[in-house]
Amino acid sequence: MRPVAIITDFMANVKMWYRSKGTVFWAIAFPVLLMLLFGAIFQGQDDVTITLYVQDMDDTDMSEMFISSLEERLNIETIPSHVETDKYIADNNIRAALVIPEGFEDTVHMAYQGSNDTVSLTLSLDPTRESVNGMIRGVVAGTLQGWNNEITGAENILVYSEESLTTREFKFIDFFLPGVIGLTVMTSSIYGTIFRNTKYKKWGILRKLSTTPFSRWEYLLSKMLFMTFISFVSTFVIIIVGVVVWDISVIINAYLFVIVTSAAFAFSGMGMLISRFVKEEETADSAGGAVTFPQMFLAGTFFPLEMMPAYLGQIARVLPLYYVNEGLRDAMIYGNNTSAMNNTAVIFAIAAVLFVLGAAMTTWTE
Amino acid sequence: MKPVIDIRNLTKHYGDLIAVNDISISINKGEIFAFLGPNGAGKTTTVEICEGIRKPTSGSVHIFGREFSGRSKSIRERIGVLPQEYRSFERLTVKETLKYYASFYRRNRDIDEIIKLMDLDDKRDELYKNLSGGLKQRVGVAMALVNDPDLVFLDEPTTGLDPRARRGVWKAISALRSEGKTIFLTTHYMEEAEYLADRVAIIHNGRIVAEGSTHDLILQNGDGYTVKLHGCDKKHMVSLGWKAKVAKNNTVTLHVENPNDITRILSKVVKEGMIFESMEVRRANLEEVFLNLTGETLEGEDAE
Repeated sequence: MRPVAIITDFMANVKMWYRSKGTVFWAIAFPVLLMLLFGAIFQGQDDVTITLYVQDMDDTDMSEMFISSLEERLNIETIPSHVETDKYIADNNIRAALVIPEGFEDTVHMAYQGSNDTVSLTLSLDPTRESVNGMIRGVVAGTLQGWNNEITGAENILVYSEESLTTREFKFIDFFLPGVIGLTVMTSSIYGTIFRNTKYKKWGILRKLSTTPFSRWEYLLSKMLFMTFISFVSTFVIIIVGVVVWDISVIINAYLFVIVTSAAFAFSGMGMLISRFVKEEETADSAGGAVTFPQMFLAGTFFPLEMMPAYLGQIARVLPLYYVNEGLRDAMIYGNNTSAMNNTAVIFAIAAVLFVLGAAMTTWTE
Repeated sequence: MKPVIDIRNLTKHYGDLIAVNDISISINKGEIFAFLGPNGAGKTTTVEICEGIRKPTSGSVHIFGREFSGRSKSIRERIGVLPQEYRSFERLTVKETLKYYASFYRRNRDIDEIIKLMDLDDKRDELYKNLSGGLKQRVGVAMALVNDPDLVFLDEPTTGLDPRARRGVWKAISALRSEGKTIFLTTHYMEEAEYLADRVAIIHNGRIVAEGSTHDLILQNGDGYTVKLHGCDKKHMVSLGWKAKVAKNNTVTLHVENPNDITRILSKVVKEGMIFESMEVRRANLEEVFLNLTGETLEGEDAE
């Protein structure tokens, strides 16, 4: 062993590292970003906002008071009383809804006069969000219990029945599978594009290509198609594992193809934009991580947005991965075509913008 | 006949740095033209402007009689390029690499023929990453030939190679001469320019300081001939009437302008009965021409 050689090599690496401004920047910025991100997600669980949609079919002072009680612990949104509940829930991609039936106030008044008649509220929940559902159930059951105690002292005249928002039985893995597809398409497209562009730039391949009749747009398109191919390979591998190992029932339709293709284009475009500013291969890894990690955790890949503070949920809505994840869930798992179409339109638009921007920013020549 | 490349008053600035300063060159059909100069002299900038990779600050480049800024596909169809410090796709074989590049052109040369010309027969199915440096450069030259180009740019094709590998690449480039290709070569190796080029332009700090055939450049700017006598006595040499330098190992070095002086030295040495172990006669080379013209060596060091 030659310690002098080891020290010399070590010092050379230190020098090379600090002379690469990009590497130094990302080495510092990335952990800071992660700290901010996870701090925001997990700090102050009291701030967590869970939304419950309420349809008040009774439309009385009493039912309004009941809603006010719920509002102390949940974020309440209203479903108009004149609409068809199931259709409204499906069209608006609602994951938790409570219907207060007509006769709510009358039943309470009668209970004060000694009647044992009950009134049943209907709580509809998305079974894939079990952690959130637990909280909603707790709040609804607790509020009803408080009212029952107030009215009768012991009798449960206000009760609720629970319905699944979908006819199928869902598990967490159903929620997770589309997220894994979205995540895989994102990471492979972004990292693949950044690494390839950085390497080809360094090796002179882009310079060589620029002297041939092969145009920059042809090159970019072929790379996009390659990333799309890779994305579909990953998608089908994930689906096969999901079906074979976890017995997930997956719907394969046109939305799935459009979303995966759009996602591959959007994230490759994002990769092109980043690689415009990444000069060394050593920086590529960190730069890719800085874009993929926040999306991975903020865009509802591993857990529902409702588990995060409301403002982070708003941030998620500007991230392309959010629309990929939601669109894939709607298309593949819930079979909610209206919502799938909306999400597909958004990701398609994002893909078009990012592809054009990325292509415009990718230079071969000076 | 119009030149294949016609560079007129080409200038390139990078901020305050003037990389190329008002140079003009013409390269004729079938010529191997070498741009000789140390690193940072402006060789690659010039050749990359000619290839359409960079844009000039001022001046123009005409290729095949038409002004070229990189956009013309018809000109790109007719040129072949080996960029500086090029590395190809590691996980493609030699043949796959050539086929890949050939797919971009309308006109193609038979891949097997190129492989044979570049002496890569036994490496055709080898992955690029497994090739030696010399073989990789030969693949680079081969890549520049897939479209059977009329004009080939080779930017420092042997930099970083050992002498044996370098000779292999020279042999490959020489093979193109017999095919009548026009070649624009950049190098900082004097031997490379001497071995390959019909005409050489010496570039220094962005300016062309001399241009012509190797023979003419040496004749006009060289120091004539160097005669070295190994293992003899300086006192005897001084008595012969020529200025001599003596090294510690008793090697006497004389510079003479006229080749007839060499005969005179040898006659006197024999007449005086002087003893020496061996005699070496060397004509001035481009390294000395460069030194005389710029006061620096091709490695970019000041001459003492």
